[in-house]
Amino acid sequence: MELALNEDQTQILDFIDSLAKPYASVPMHDVSYALTSDDLDNELAENGFLDVMSVEELGPVTAALVVEKLARLPFALESAASALVRSLIDPDLPRPLCLVEEGRLNRPVRFLRPGASVVVVGPSGVRSFTASEELIAPPQEDTLYAYPVAFLTGLPDALTSHDIAAEEVQRAWRVALAAETAGLLGAALESLTTYLSERKQFGRPLATFQALRHRLAETQVLTNGVYWMALKAAGTGDPADAALAALHAQDAAKRVGYDYHQLMGGMGMTLEHPMHLWTYRLKLLTAELGGRGSQALAAADAIWG
Amino acid sequence: MDFAWSDEQQAFRQKLRDFLADNLPDDWEKFSEHGPASPALTAFAREFCGKLAENGMLFPHWPKELGGEGLGPWEQQILAEEMWSAGEPRGGQYMNVNWIGPTLDRYGTPEQKAQYLKPITDGATLWCQGFSEPDAGSDLASLRTRAELVDSNYVINGQKIWTSYAGLADTCFLLTRTSDDRKKGITILLVPMDTPGITVRQIPSLVGEGDIHEVFFDDVTVPEGARFGEEGQAWEIIAYSLRNERLGVPRFSLARAALDRAVAMLQERGEFSGEIVRAEAARCAAACDASQIACYALVQKRVDGEQIGAESSSARYAVVQCERAVCEFVIEYVPEALAGASPYLKMHHQRGIVAGVASGAAEIQLNIIASDVLELPREPR
Ligand SMILES: Cc1cc2nc3c(=O)[nH]c(=O)nc-3n(C[C@H](O)[C@H](O)[C@H](O)COP(=O)(O)OP(=O)(O)OC[C@H]3O[C@@H](n4cnc5c(N)ncnc54)[C@H](O)[C@@H]3O)c2cc1C
Repeated sequence: MELALNEDQTQILDFIDSLAKPYASVPMHDVSYALTSDDLDNELAENGFLDVMSVEELGPVTAALVVEKLARLPFALESAASALVRSLIDPDLPRPLCLVEEGRLNRPVRFLRPGASVVVVGPSGVRSFTASEELIAPPQEDTLYAYPVAFLTGLPDALTSHDIAAEEVQRAWRVALAAETAGLLGAALESLTTYLSERKQFGRPLATFQALRHRLAETQVLTNGVYWMALKAAGTGDPADAALAALHAQDAAKRVGYDYHQLMGGMGMTLEHPMHLWTYRLKLLTAELGGRGSQALAAADAIWG
Repeated sequence: MDFAWSDEQQAFRQKLRDFLADNLPDDWEKFSEHGPASPALTAFAREFCGKLAENGMLFPHWPKELGGEGLGPWEQQILAEEMWSAGEPRGGQYMNVNWIGPTLDRYGTPEQKAQYLKPITDGATLWCQGFSEPDAGSDLASLRTRAELVDSNYVINGQKIWTSYAGLADTCFLLTRTSDDRKKGITILLVPMDTPGITVRQIPSLVGEGDIHEVFFDDVTVPEGARFGEEGQAWEIIAYSLRNERLGVPRFSLARAALDRAVAMLQERGEFSGEIVRAEAARCAAACDASQIACYALVQKRVDGEQIGAESSSARYAVVQCERAVCEFVIEYVPEALAGASPYLKMHHQRGIVAGVASGAAEIQLNIIASDVLELPREPR
């Protein structure tokens, strides 16, 4: 057992911090639903940050740390699936990587665009194809979800089958979900903490009212739990750990999705404050992999048979 | 980062399990219903802790010169997990290991160390913690039990409450007021419980026989050398003690073991196939895991020699959530457990329900997280 960051990990996280610095806040006057940056995406990919999982001395925990860190940015990046799932399926699959569940093809697919790799996971195994224009319903520009999303209109006639069990991909997907959620939760909490410490009513900062302090403190506990469970699940590779991490992550996401907007009052309904960039991503993640109930059942299967 | 136990750590855990298997009586589960502070368990614990000490398993994480084996904080954690999930056969002596021993070692005078440390590392003595008073619970700094220095003796008058183990303890780690300067006016005295003037009254409770007490002090007189630290230093010392205490009880281990036990009972009678019960059980397991890993992050700090601060309140609060989830699960799905069907689950329930109150209420942990982890501006006083 060793839970401190090693030197490599500290260095990688520091690199990412400096690389992502220009993207650490929302550009002035930008009120988009979903902020993205191809430049940042390219830089991360070119520098190999999304491939650390297959580097032997780095591995999945480092990949989860990278994903957590990147998810804190106001910019939406396809990092979780690429960093924590792709190398298991085929490290050369072109990005972005879109994971979809067989049988749930009608859901909004994050980062779907022509050229994206779509991986369909389910009873028929793990199969992929490259998304082309005619398989994609026009991207939804005005989705609230703060990710670029689009819909699949169907599957192509031929898909590439991959030699990996669907369960293994689902396990890694749960880790990816938990790691991304951890970062989003962390950034949203930090942003809310700042807001409530500055916003005054009744002559004092709102953060001095205990009714609000306790709600914030409880989400700190949840956020910390999701962070560590995601890393642990990445580290152990155990399906039960992955399901529990994803379950706790989706539970936490559901909890803050309401609270964080509520506690900002009217400001929480605007696009002026970046809160929605984290919370609406969290909301969409609560629907992933069948939602909390499915993670709970997967965990029960893995633990008690 | 590495989330796996080393071979040595696994071997250490196995050694503890073997020891427990060899040294707990066959009817241990029924026996442990007596509760950690009961006369029966206290007597058993004296013998059991003596054997642990002989085998180097009472203070394995202490340096050799103090009677330990020189192992580290992870072994201390493994020890606590194995003991607690077995129903804490060390009885109240677990407090010696968690915080009384370390606090004595750090702040005691040479005479105090010479007097108290050996019985502790031999597993031969029981302590109690005299902090709370009827009007000083969460607001501990308002405590009023007076100690007055009269001719090189302290004369103590006042009352403590909720004092666990007081009925059978040898010594009390007592907080007294020596001046009116709130936190700076509190002083620790180490008081033998057989000193004349001490009256102990048991409080009947939900948490097991003999656990909580009222303790009255009427002109109780102890020599000046019973003072622990300087006058007014108590607050600094107990901040250190409580940090150790909060991390000391791995409630998630027993909660998780209780959950597994409840699930096994349900499986046995074919009642663990419904999606609702399975999902609820999984949610309990997630709460156990979340609190365990939050505590492990603190153990790592200990390994690295870092101070553990307000994060311990965050881990504590996670632990309270896990205890609550499992206690409620058991009652909803295996209600007969608390009515005789499972001594183990009843034992867990009685330990579990105090998680949010004993050693600092849950809401106080939230206050600490808000102020010192999130660093929110303070509430007006
Ligand atoms: C089984 C058990 C064993 C114990 N053993 C010992 C022992 O050995 N030695 C010892 O000294 N003490 C012991 N205690 C006492 C324990 O430390 C106190 O019960 C605890 O500190 C709470 O104090 P209280 O009971 O006076 O509750 P109160 O302080 O009256 O609190 C009641 C409720 O109000 C809430 N509250 C209080 N203040 C605030 C605030 N500022 N903001 C928001 N909410 C607040 C609390 O969180 C709680 O929910 C034990 C308690 C139990 C249950």
